[in-house]
Amino acid sequence: MFRDESLLGRFIVGMARLMAIAGGLVLLAMVGMIVVSIIGRALLFVGLKPITGDYELVSIGMGFAIFAFMPWAHLTRSHALVALVTDSFGLRVNSWILVITDIMMLAASWFIAWRLYFGMMDKFAYRETTLLLRFPLSWAYAMAFVGAVVMAVVAVYVLGRSLSYAIKGEAEPKQAGAEV
Amino acid sequence: QEVTLRIHQMLPAQATIPAQAIEPWAAKVSDESDGRIKFELYPAMQLGGAPPELFDQAKDGVVDIIWTVLGYTPGRFPKSEVFELPFMIPNGEVGSAAFYNYVQENSADEFAGVHVIALHTHGPGLFHSKEPVTSLEDLNGMKVRGGSRIISDMLAELGAEPIGMPVPQVTEALSKGVIDATTIPWEVTPSLRVAELVQNHTGFTSQYGLYTQTFGFVMNMDSYNNLPDDLKAVIDANSGLETSRMFGRVMDNGDATGLSIAVNAGNNVVQLDEAETARWIEAAGPVVDRWLADMDGQGIDGQSLLDAARAAVAAEM
Amino acid sequence: MTPLMLGFLGLPLVLVLIFLRVPIGLAMLGVGVFGSWLITGSFNPVSAQFKNLTYSTYASYSLSVVPLFLLMGQFATLGGLSSGLFNAAAAWLGHKRGGVAMAAIGASAGFGAICGSSLATAATMGQVALPELKKYGYSGALSTGTVAAGGTLGILIPPSIILVIFAVLTEQNIAKLFMGAFVPGILAAIGYIIVIMLYVRMVPGSGGVRERLPYGRRFRELAKTWPVLAVFVAVIGGIYAGIFTPTEAAAVGAAGTFLIALAARSLDRKSIVQACLATASATAMIFLIVLGAAALNSFLALSQVPQVLAAWVGEQGFNPWIVMILVLIFYLVMGCVMDSLSMILLTVPIIFPMMSVLDFGLTPDEFGIWFGIIVLIVVEVGLITPPVGMNLFIINSMAPGTRLSDTYRGVLPFVASDMVRTAILVAFPPVTLWLVWMLY
Ligand code: NA
Ligand code: NA
Repeated sequence: MFRDESLLGRFIVGMARLMAIAGGLVLLAMVGMIVVSIIGRALLFVGLKPITGDYELVSIGMGFAIFAFMPWAHLTRSHALVALVTDSFGLRVNSWILVITDIMMLAASWFIAWRLYFGMMDKFAYRETTLLLRFPLSWAYAMAFVGAVVMAVVAVYVLGRSLSYAIKGEAEPKQAGAEV
Repeated sequence: QEVTLRIHQMLPAQATIPAQAIEPWAAKVSDESDGRIKFELYPAMQLGGAPPELFDQAKDGVVDIIWTVLGYTPGRFPKSEVFELPFMIPNGEVGSAAFYNYVQENSADEFAGVHVIALHTHGPGLFHSKEPVTSLEDLNGMKVRGGSRIISDMLAELGAEPIGMPVPQVTEALSKGVIDATTIPWEVTPSLRVAELVQNHTGFTSQYGLYTQTFGFVMNMDSYNNLPDDLKAVIDANSGLETSRMFGRVMDNGDATGLSIAVNAGNNVVQLDEAETARWIEAAGPVVDRWLADMDGQGIDGQSLLDAARAAVAAEM
Repeated sequence: MTPLMLGFLGLPLVLVLIFLRVPIGLAMLGVGVFGSWLITGSFNPVSAQFKNLTYSTYASYSLSVVPLFLLMGQFATLGGLSSGLFNAAAAWLGHKRGGVAMAAIGASAGFGAICGSSLATAATMGQVALPELKKYGYSGALSTGTVAAGGTLGILIPPSIILVIFAVLTEQNIAKLFMGAFVPGILAAIGYIIVIMLYVRMVPGSGGVRERLPYGRRFRELAKTWPVLAVFVAVIGGIYAGIFTPTEAAAVGAAGTFLIALAARSLDRKSIVQACLATASATAMIFLIVLGAAALNSFLALSQVPQVLAAWVGEQGFNPWIVMILVLIFYLVMGCVMDSLSMILLTVPIIFPMMSVLDFGLTPDEFGIWFGIIVLIVVEVGLITPPVGMNLFIINSMAPGTRLSDTYRGVLPFVASDMVRTAILVAFPPVTLWLVWMLY
């Protein structure tokens, strides 16, 4: 069940992938918006204008994109870690260490999503907006919350995956990881 | 019994309000409590988060006391926002006293979750520009940084091209020509080195300055309620109208410092005459109308709030 | 336990967790949350803080530079600029002894000018340069060592993601930091080329040469790299001239490399999705660490450790240069076993205020730039120091047949040149600062 090839696995991987691509497209849209805004600012004299609230749009976009990236990074084991010491511990120990760190990541992602939910409800209650566009912050939080919920779900699956490998005494297949 | 209270705010420790209002205030309270109230000062958001979170940090008890710009959370204090409208206040001290009194009578509910120590404004903001601004027409097409929604709205109404950016970026933006001018009070100009970057400063001949922003120095409710009565009394003795007035006075002193730096630098400090000022007040009129309509949309009687705010200012003059 | 003691325990605890293979950002986050909880004596403050902290950390305008630079690197890779750069460098250097390896360094420097990350530079240049190096008979050790070291030029030569994060963390001016990185970055490339010259003389037969090309051909190859120059000038020139904020410059850079990739006909649905996913992984990795750092710093500030430590160091009257050398040794040792970004985020909030109180005869502004560049360089060295060096791993995995121990051996001369350069930059701050002085 907790295999990337299984029905559940394909669903989870597909969902995380979709979120990551959505976040990437938002970044691309930000690039386009910023370039248009720069051109508008440079060509004020012919009557063009910068995009009002470009700062705000970037930060709203960032809020969505970064939350949207988190599930994919966890699923593909992209987070930075130091394996220098644990490499000498052998396969069994390492597979259980992975289970423990996955439990920690699960706890963290649920904590973050849980708190973000209350942050979002505050924003709905206080009706806070951005400075220039008066874009409701509650919506910006809600967009971010989508990623946080997907991350909370993905963290359950990832824990199930590492647990099932650990019980069988196998190493989890190597994932792509990240490049910085 | 001793208590330690954490004070969190966004500016560096040496900025005007942190150094000349908050620190002396904390020292005074500590002194009057015979050292039983201690303060830890955390400038520059050291305890984490972004400036717009400060108010909630006090409300939710992340820290005990915060100082913040109320305009950082647009929409959160709609009734208090009236003081941000153009040409409302003459100086920091009067503005602060009026704002404190106004809030007590008209918008105390917006501060229901916290214990208010002081509410205040800064002195009148004005134009600092590369090219002189001597009439309304000079503003046409000028790229001007505005600090809040209402100010940006007003700049557009006056014919300028408002550019929104955080205060710390003003220095670089002015020096590189990204903006031609900025609106800020004198108090901020020394730290941003504005008088070195531009040579023209334009204020108004009017009872009231161009605009102001509002600030809150507030305490977490539980932190206050958990104090023993005698310590509560010490806090109470250092809260309210007079404390608000003190914060405003500190802003005015900062304005005087900023002005004298510009004068000593030989800059061109312009004060528009009454006839010209009247044109600006009229040109900014639609901003007030839009604010009133906006309040209407939220089911708030904006006109009576505006009248109350003007009356509160008049009462202090 | 007093808050101060908790604070002093925090950092070692983070390190223990990290060495037990807990993801670095997660270790910092956990210690930060629990530490704040213990100091305030209640879970409410930290719990309330997280209603907004995650969102405001992620939704940051100033940090939006990071994913945009990563995206730019992705498109630069897709645009096939690396082979053009390598061909141009090889046209000029290939006929010299060790010239193919030198060309790999030159091309890495060029790629570094439009890419803000070290691993992306190493991986991209590895694909192009490793087969060529093999073809001309370069040993596995020298080949992988060269490309791994060349990859660090990705963060040494501006733009640089590490510098952006240092700037945001210490409230320094990104533009000035980028200008400050320029000369040290060029020095790094020169140092690596000298290493190769010495290496091929001391180890005979370690590499062959390509045919000497006529100057007309050389200039034609060089001319083909104009898109790189165009993007570099737009990004760095735009930041320097103040036309763009760093975020805007990164967006312009991403748009520019996007157009290059488009012109190279290498953009299709599949490659765009790949670019999105790779950006997602790398961005998320960085931001989890940034979030962890936010939680940890808030805990450390509460514990008063940075304040107390800075005051203590200020009172002791230590010789600033000795403290500097100790800090550098600490960074170099840590760099052997840790990733550079986490090291900066973990230590700078404590080390930077502590170092700022010492008198190096520089203004606070100058100190910030100079120290930032030195930190950048020592953590960059961490990417190529055995046993844990991300560049070493990635390049070694691209060179089947070369043992990791050979890569370790091959990179050591480059590490030595890094040490020499670090010493020069520490001893002579003007080397870093003169360009900044000249431009500002
Ligand atoms: Na670079
Ligand atoms: Na290393």
